[in-house]
Amino acid sequence: MRRLGSRLAQMVFVLWAVATILFLIFRLMPGNPLAAYIDPNFTVEQQRELMQRFGLDRPLHEQYVLYLGNLLRGDLGDSFFYRAPVTKLIWEVFPNTIALTLFALLIAYTVGTLGGIVLAWLRGTWVEGVTIPLVLTTRAAPEFWLGMLLLAVFSFNLGWFPSGGANSAGASFDSELARFLSLDFLRHLFLPATALAIYLHGLPLLLMRSNMLDVLQEDFVTMAKMKGLSHWTILVRHAARNALLPVVTAFAVGIGYSIGGNVVIETVFSWPGLGRLLVRAVSASDYPLAQGAFLVIAAVIVVMNFIADMLYSTLDPRVAHER
Amino acid sequence: MRRIVGLTLVVLLACGAVAQGDPVRTITVLSQPQAAAPYEYQSIQLVANAWRQLGIDVEIQVSPWEQLSDIVWFNRQTWDATGWQMVGRPERSDPDEIVFNLFHSSTAEAGFNFVGYNNPAYDAVAEAQRVATDLDERQRLIYEAQAIIDQDQVYAFLVYPESIYAYRSDVWNPDSIVEQSGIGIKNTWTFIEAEPIGSQRDMVLNSNFVVQAINPLYISGSVDSWITELVWDRLLRVGPDGLPVPWSAESYEWIDDVTIDVVLRAGMTWHDGEPVTVEDVVFSFEAAGGGEAPMYTPFVSAIADIEIRDERTVRFTLTRPQAAFLTASLAKINLIPRHIWEPVLTDLQGQPENAESYQEDVPVGSGPFTFVRWRASEEVVLAANPNHWAAPKMDRWILRMIPNVEATLGALRSGELNFLAAYPGDPAVLAATARGNPIEVVASTDIGFRFVAFNHRRPPFDDAAFRRALSQAINRDLIIDAAYNDFATAANSPVSIALEFWNNPDVAGFETGMDLARQTLADAGYVLVDGRLHYPTGVSETLGR
Amino acid sequence: MSADVLTAPTARRGGRVRAMLGRLFAVVLKDRFALVGTLIYVAFVLLAALAPALAPHDPMEIQFLESGRLARNVPPGDASHPLGTTSLGRDIYSQLLYGTRSALLVGVTAAFFVVAIGTLVGLVAGYAGGWIEVVLMRLTDIAFGIPFLPFVIILSAFLEPSVWNIVLAMSLVLWRDTARVIRSQVLTLRERAFVEAARVTGSSHPRILFMHIAPNVLPLSFLYGSIAVGWAILTEASISFLGFGDATIVSWGAMLQDAYQSQALSLGMYHWFVPPGVAIVLVVVAGFFISRGYEEILFPKLKE
Repeated sequence: MRRLGSRLAQMVFVLWAVATILFLIFRLMPGNPLAAYIDPNFTVEQQRELMQRFGLDRPLHEQYVLYLGNLLRGDLGDSFFYRAPVTKLIWEVFPNTIALTLFALLIAYTVGTLGGIVLAWLRGTWVEGVTIPLVLTTRAAPEFWLGMLLLAVFSFNLGWFPSGGANSAGASFDSELARFLSLDFLRHLFLPATALAIYLHGLPLLLMRSNMLDVLQEDFVTMAKMKGLSHWTILVRHAARNALLPVVTAFAVGIGYSIGGNVVIETVFSWPGLGRLLVRAVSASDYPLAQGAFLVIAAVIVVMNFIADMLYSTLDPRVAHER
Repeated sequence: MRRIVGLTLVVLLACGAVAQGDPVRTITVLSQPQAAAPYEYQSIQLVANAWRQLGIDVEIQVSPWEQLSDIVWFNRQTWDATGWQMVGRPERSDPDEIVFNLFHSSTAEAGFNFVGYNNPAYDAVAEAQRVATDLDERQRLIYEAQAIIDQDQVYAFLVYPESIYAYRSDVWNPDSIVEQSGIGIKNTWTFIEAEPIGSQRDMVLNSNFVVQAINPLYISGSVDSWITELVWDRLLRVGPDGLPVPWSAESYEWIDDVTIDVVLRAGMTWHDGEPVTVEDVVFSFEAAGGGEAPMYTPFVSAIADIEIRDERTVRFTLTRPQAAFLTASLAKINLIPRHIWEPVLTDLQGQPENAESYQEDVPVGSGPFTFVRWRASEEVVLAANPNHWAAPKMDRWILRMIPNVEATLGALRSGELNFLAAYPGDPAVLAATARGNPIEVVASTDIGFRFVAFNHRRPPFDDAAFRRALSQAINRDLIIDAAYNDFATAANSPVSIALEFWNNPDVAGFETGMDLARQTLADAGYVLVDGRLHYPTGVSETLGR
Repeated sequence: MSADVLTAPTARRGGRVRAMLGRLFAVVLKDRFALVGTLIYVAFVLLAALAPALAPHDPMEIQFLESGRLARNVPPGDASHPLGTTSLGRDIYSQLLYGTRSALLVGVTAAFFVVAIGTLVGLVAGYAGGWIEVVLMRLTDIAFGIPFLPFVIILSAFLEPSVWNIVLAMSLVLWRDTARVIRSQVLTLRERAFVEAARVTGSSHPRILFMHIAPNVLPLSFLYGSIAVGWAILTEASISFLGFGDATIVSWGAMLQDAYQSQALSLGMYHWFVPPGVAIVLVVVAGFFISRGYEEILFPKLKE
């Protein structure tokens, strides 16, 4: 319980630090932060009034207090470009990004875990010799390049999947949930999720394999062998269960990091998500929107790191004892 | 004696060495990145190559559009030259906006004359054409304006691009697709007339830019204007032939040079069911001029008074005759419902923001389409308004945001898109795609034009001879081939050849060539020393090295 | 962790660095993965060095046909353009060769800074303990809370687009992984007999840290470095693809972006689209191979 408390405090501290760094980046950047907002017809007085409204005429430390206060109230300000609340714009796309990430990770970790078990079983065979370099290669390929090749083959040439977006034009649903469960959404989700999964599956696969090999050295496995259980039974029933823990933790961490890395895949597949919103905001000098999107991504990462840590210490008694 | 001669010789030689001015500094040319605007990027590379051959040190600075416009538009003292474009809009069918706003000295400070061109003789002509109600007289003045621009080479005009659009001919009846002169098939008339052939009754079209605002009092991105034209009506609209035709107005009648009566069509309603009244019309024009919609203000500045004559008639009185009034005002101002906007505008008074910052949750107009949904990174959905007197034939109009061109083309091929409304890609690829598919490609010369803008505030660009030489050095045919895949026509006037009546054919034959350019520079006193161009004698560089 | 790299140090400190290099070399020779990886690196370094000699053209120069028209989309196999030309008439083969230079430049500089910062933080935190360790490890936590790619995007967009800003952004964040691993290594080394011996004989702290402990973690840093090279190259490619790259430099990422924007896929110009991607895969995978195959990329925190 004490550990939970201190870890929670640490999470809050990191969130605060990231928010502060972001504040400094945006305030200390060269140029007028309102450049994208002020149009040429504004008089000097109007500009000054606007600066005042956004609190930009005050000393830096006052702006900072204002900024933190707004964050605590969940107010991310208004987008310069769309002239709408940043939170509204982010919530519009956030579910899409989460869906894409989770789906991709599920594919990657299912395939990866099973593949890891099989590879551990096939240790020392030629299959291992071929598979491992191959898996490493998928991790070395730029995601967007992989995504484009998939798009070219399965959408443009074969026509099996739509060429982008999260839903067909004009599709409407009763609820957000109904949308996620619709065939239309899944059809759109499949290619980008696969591209991500190809990139992501190497980690659980190699992790699972090496954990399996470690676990197989341990006493209880030797015991099981002595009891005369079959190789495969030992592998799946005994070893795999114990080897899975770090993979579960990696999954939680993976959610956070994939959301940050999705930027590229979302762009290739015209996926209406947080990453594309961020890219668009940055290139339009839409500071509040860029800042908001960045903060939300950072928050997901920090929270996921926290959950992974908690998972790890809950699931593995050894960790709890050590501390 | 010999020593004196020697000395004189030395002095003479020394004088010879300083017989030219300072070397011309390194010139920076701005361009959009290749990814965003390949044609512009490529053109600027070729232009820079040509200028380097004149002995000028040229540097290209590539910035994304937002940063580029920030420099060019808001920091007008700081740049030398930039790639730029004027896009074709229906209102630009009347040359006034281009001839006056772009080049009149009154707009140099903060308006459209961003290059800072200042020529009183030109100003006089630009002003005269505004009040010339006689068509032939006005044509003569517009011709003259173009001749002056040619003489001064205000810009180095490059091309009139051809705009390329396409549609699925298995979805839309080809006879129902309307081509608007100088605009192409992507226009309001097509959106109203397009007739579905089969079960797909929705028009799904694309944009490579996101929609910024859906606001009848704000001229934002060009994509946004496709939507405002459909949701809101105007008294007149620019017809397929480029001339204004009555729209929400049933008719209009000039009483004299400065007085016009407009009769409103009967029985129109707003999308929320309220009737459209003459009070709404008056309110719309007053809102545009009332200070809360600055981008519309120039379009109503000629109106002295608006008066309600009866339930359906409004009388506009102008401050002076204005030739472009029908196109520039009556066909420009969106009719907006007073019961919605009056409280909003009252609320905005005394605040630094104006109506441009206001976004309705559900925009309400009286136009042929009603607003259904807008998801910023996904799509805008409009539905046909069956109660409109010109009800569209399609069911819905769905604009999809697709940032990249390859995905756009893939979607057109698969039928996910059935109308290609924006295509920044290679025309040859589109043509090849169309060959095996029921896809009709339509290319037409645009009202818009592409050019290199010189900053007249910064020497040597204040020198017309220098500008002329630089413009002469540019091989337009090469640019048309290398940057536009032959889908463009060489330009030397801001009034496009698409505007047949207004384009001055005499300025078209602008002679170019490297030798000619060198000659022009030499005649103006510029000197080449060790391959580097120097100012004429006595002229020094005032802007750094 | 590979135990053979981290065995007890040699007794004489003069031979320490040489011994370390020797061990490293032995690893490379013994391990087929590491050998292949090293060979790929050597090949790319040679290509980068010889690029001006091997490339038939300036990579940015616009090529023309004899007719004076643009040499657009020339198919591969042409004598003067072995891999053909781009839609804007640039020589693809020359771009590919010059791309090697920027890839190695970005990769190696970024990796150097990432590993140097990470190692230093890890060493000091692990050895010093106390409040210094707490401060440094909280800093590492913060770095782990920063979304990497978005951070690089924001920095390279708001500062001017240049490869150096990409390198800067990477150095500011990616040291976190190295720092954590090095610290935990140092924690175990600190208690070892030879460190104890040094302490007893009166060696100063910096001396113990840099002369006795550091040589033992350097191979690990080196392995992290070889992975970081790959990350840097992938990141530069992603940033170029998103349009925030340095337009003045020919890189593989920029080539891919150019190809994609110019519709190389629709045109069937796979000779334009595939080679830069393959080049990236090769260099990055070489880094993975050198890091002795797989163990090192197993650290969950390294992945993003």
